[in-house]
Amino acid sequence: MYTQPYPEGGQGQAQASSSAAANSLLVADCGAVFTKVSLFGLVEGQYRLLARGEAPTTLTPPNEDLTVGIIQAITIIEFITGRRFVSDKRVLTPEQDSGDGVDVFIATVSAGGPLRLVVLGGVSATLENLVSQAISGLYAEAQFLPAPAFSAASSGASPAPVAAGGRPSSPGQGAPWTPERIAMEWDRQLGRVRELNPHVSLIVGMADAPGGPNSLQEACQLLVKATRNRNERQGAGASAGIPPQDNVARQIPVLYAGAPQYVEAVKRMVQGVSEVTRVDSLTSPAQVGAISIAAGTMHDRHVLRKLPGYNQLQSWSATAPIATATSLSSLVRFLAQHYTMNVTALDVGGATTTVMQAGEQGDFIPMVNVGLGVGPGAGAILQRVGWQRIARWLPFAIREEEIRQFVANMLLHPYEVPSASRELQLSHAFAREAIILTTEAAKKNSGKWSEADLILATGGVLAHAPKYGQVAMMLLDALQPRGVTSLVLDKTMLISQLGAVAAVAPITAVQVNENDAVTHRLGTCVIPYGELQPGQLAVRVGVEYSNGRQQTVDVMAGSVEVIPLRLNEQALLTLFPAPTVDVGLGAGERARAAEEIDGGLVGLIIDARGRPLVLPTDQAERQARLLQWSQALGA
Amino acid sequence: MAHSPDWPVVSQTVLQRERWPGYLRGYRQVTSLVRPGQEVLPDQPIIRLERETMAGPTRAAPVTLPAGLRGRVVDVTHRGGVVIESYGALLQGALGAGRQVAGVLTIWQEPARASSPPVIPPGALLVVPGPLNFSLLRQAQRSGVAGIIASSIALSDLEGFLRTDFIQLLETPDVELAQSRLPDLTLLLTEGLGTITMPTAGSNFLNRYRGSIALLSGITSQRYHIVPELIISFPAQQQRDPSQILPSDLMLTLGAQVRVCAGEYIGFIGLIDYFFVYEQVFPSGIHARALRIRREDGSFIKVPVTHVKRIG
Repeated sequence: MYTQPYPEGGQGQAQASSSAAANSLLVADCGAVFTKVSLFGLVEGQYRLLARGEAPTTLTPPNEDLTVGIIQAITIIEFITGRRFVSDKRVLTPEQDSGDGVDVFIATVSAGGPLRLVVLGGVSATLENLVSQAISGLYAEAQFLPAPAFSAASSGASPAPVAAGGRPSSPGQGAPWTPERIAMEWDRQLGRVRELNPHVSLIVGMADAPGGPNSLQEACQLLVKATRNRNERQGAGASAGIPPQDNVARQIPVLYAGAPQYVEAVKRMVQGVSEVTRVDSLTSPAQVGAISIAAGTMHDRHVLRKLPGYNQLQSWSATAPIATATSLSSLVRFLAQHYTMNVTALDVGGATTTVMQAGEQGDFIPMVNVGLGVGPGAGAILQRVGWQRIARWLPFAIREEEIRQFVANMLLHPYEVPSASRELQLSHAFAREAIILTTEAAKKNSGKWSEADLILATGGVLAHAPKYGQVAMMLLDALQPRGVTSLVLDKTMLISQLGAVAAVAPITAVQVNENDAVTHRLGTCVIPYGELQPGQLAVRVGVEYSNGRQQTVDVMAGSVEVIPLRLNEQALLTLFPAPTVDVGLGAGERARAAEEIDGGLVGLIIDARGRPLVLPTDQAERQARLLQWSQALGA
Repeated sequence: MAHSPDWPVVSQTVLQRERWPGYLRGYRQVTSLVRPGQEVLPDQPIIRLERETMAGPTRAAPVTLPAGLRGRVVDVTHRGGVVIESYGALLQGALGAGRQVAGVLTIWQEPARASSPPVIPPGALLVVPGPLNFSLLRQAQRSGVAGIIASSIALSDLEGFLRTDFIQLLETPDVELAQSRLPDLTLLLTEGLGTITMPTAGSNFLNRYRGSIALLSGITSQRYHIVPELIISFPAQQQRDPSQILPSDLMLTLGAQVRVCAGEYIGFIGLIDYFFVYEQVFPSGIHARALRIRREDGSFIKVPVTHVKRIG
């Protein structure tokens, strides 16, 4: 709902007919840290993943060219397959009789950082929420700077020099809106715009809102002044060697979603300084989609197209590269409708964490948390949650300095692989917090959240985890699902690319998804909740295997158990919860599955630790519990 | 064969840098003393800084900034910075802090080895081949050293000296403003955090240019992908020969000298002995593409490909 499938430049369906008969496809996903390339081809009439390669993303000096990393990853595929896909720094298309080359090349991109959006004018709390919803599925971050006239008027006072109001972040909160305070606020906002270095501004506010047209006028004045200041500082990055793509253009384009009768006045005020694009006036959730599309287009224009190597990348294919999150959202919605179930997908990357939930009724909640991840994004996590929240997930004692050192190293050496056990556990702890923060943001933003029937996980930290039990543990700890759900790991890291593939070659996308992407089923999970009494029975689980064998397991509150049910095995499940415990049908209500449940690489997981999950406060006890739970899952 | 993600030393290159003092407290008025097309010398003053109060420029003597580079002025920016194109050598560090400064490269001699107590010349760029510590930093600052080039430092010492959260500093949006709040001593660490010594190639590189005027920037930004750098312009008599300017060889090939820059073997140096065809398993259980390094003592270590940096 909040994302535009293919913003400006994306080809979508136009490609479908020409690519219908593609025998082979190369799909590149350029992440902030690593670039992944996958080769799809026909095997016995079905599209399959044939090989994949991974190499560091090459956006930064000395390469400063996205295509260098892609070619390095393709080189690995060439080594594996013995085929040649690149010649003279170009992807060979179409596939030749010798087997060299591919018919279709597609790229998705999450590198390059977010679109920085500054929201000006009559920015009420309601509009803040609507803008946040509009950009929640995009690589974008918004900062809100309400006009002083709006702040003064919405506090119940007339504009300066008058009394009170203002936002908590404003200086002199509670002080009257005197000319001095307005001047201070003006300076603060100029400083903020300078610091934020926005790609785009969004001006909002209706004529009948507090501050009225004055808010819009002040927004324009701020923009004009900030642009002039910025142009005076042009070149500020040169002494430090800031790459040109990070030195934004001399203009800050305006998306105007304010009162329609003032659009011409706004154009006049910012004439020569900013180009104005009018979008639907933002007043209610009905306009969120339009704002989302406009912001997506701006991301494409001001971030993706500015990436070094973009033009070369685009020349390899008739399909323009698209944002990875846009691709993922297409797939998640498809899966929810195809399987008629609630699907929660999460992608934990080095610099971005994404959580998306799609329902069978078409409802969709995306949350792209830019700057938060287990690579360069680990610093933001530490800053947000503090070191103790990282340490709580570790089954050993650790000091703040070690965690800070770990984070600093992740920032300085983002390509580092956690080769030591301690580093791996630290990186898994950060992954948990990244998922928690992103899920919390999604719930807050959307105001609703459903229990998932299927949890689909991808991203380097999860896909590369040495044990499936470790992935299951991270998902259960961080997402804290309730009732009955299934966990699937996309170990091939394909799902983020398949949405883009589907637009060009839908059959390929469906077949690769079923054959290779969602094949690592970790297992079905039963998560009883309610009032679990420590040490008491939480739920009795009856399992009737397909071969007729039966097993009954009593699971105590506070524990995690795995009942053997391997991949390709099925069983009928009966749950007898304790009187105060719920497994999805109400406290104490017995549940019997109408259909057999599937096994998985971990097994049938019963997580009776309670919801919300509360870790023991005593350090020794907490560490012992963490070890015990990990061992239960084979982690 | 693989590619190293880093680029520590470029022995010959043509580059353009804006000479700019950063935000200096009390100095507002920046005036360029040169014009585009003009040739400049490393010690030539090219920018004048004047104090400015609310009432306007004061009568205090202005300060001038030397070019730090030999080369041609290609632009004067809006703010008064001077963009110089220069031909020289470049050393990039793993991390650093502090604004751009120019000074004479001076090699630090440990007191025990020096015949007399070490004299740290004010305004110098001091090269410390080993790890830094808090007390050495304070001593250098008191002596008026402009910058230090060293191998590594403990995070606690670095943050103690800078009096800032270094992780936040790496991610700050306004890079130059953040530098202006740091102590007046620019740092470049070639290896990064910890107690890692400088590889011989690095210290040889710096020794070769001792006594030269160099331009040092400590600015490190994860957000903008900026790494600290030291630039030494070549003398005028060393004519530029474009055919000699070769791109830095980033390829990790058999026999290449590499340094491990992450993980349990951080700081180890050796030659690439073997590339594993298949992904290898490491103590954490993780699988990764790997190579084997033969160390100087003849021992072998196995490390992920992404953990090594080519140094020779």
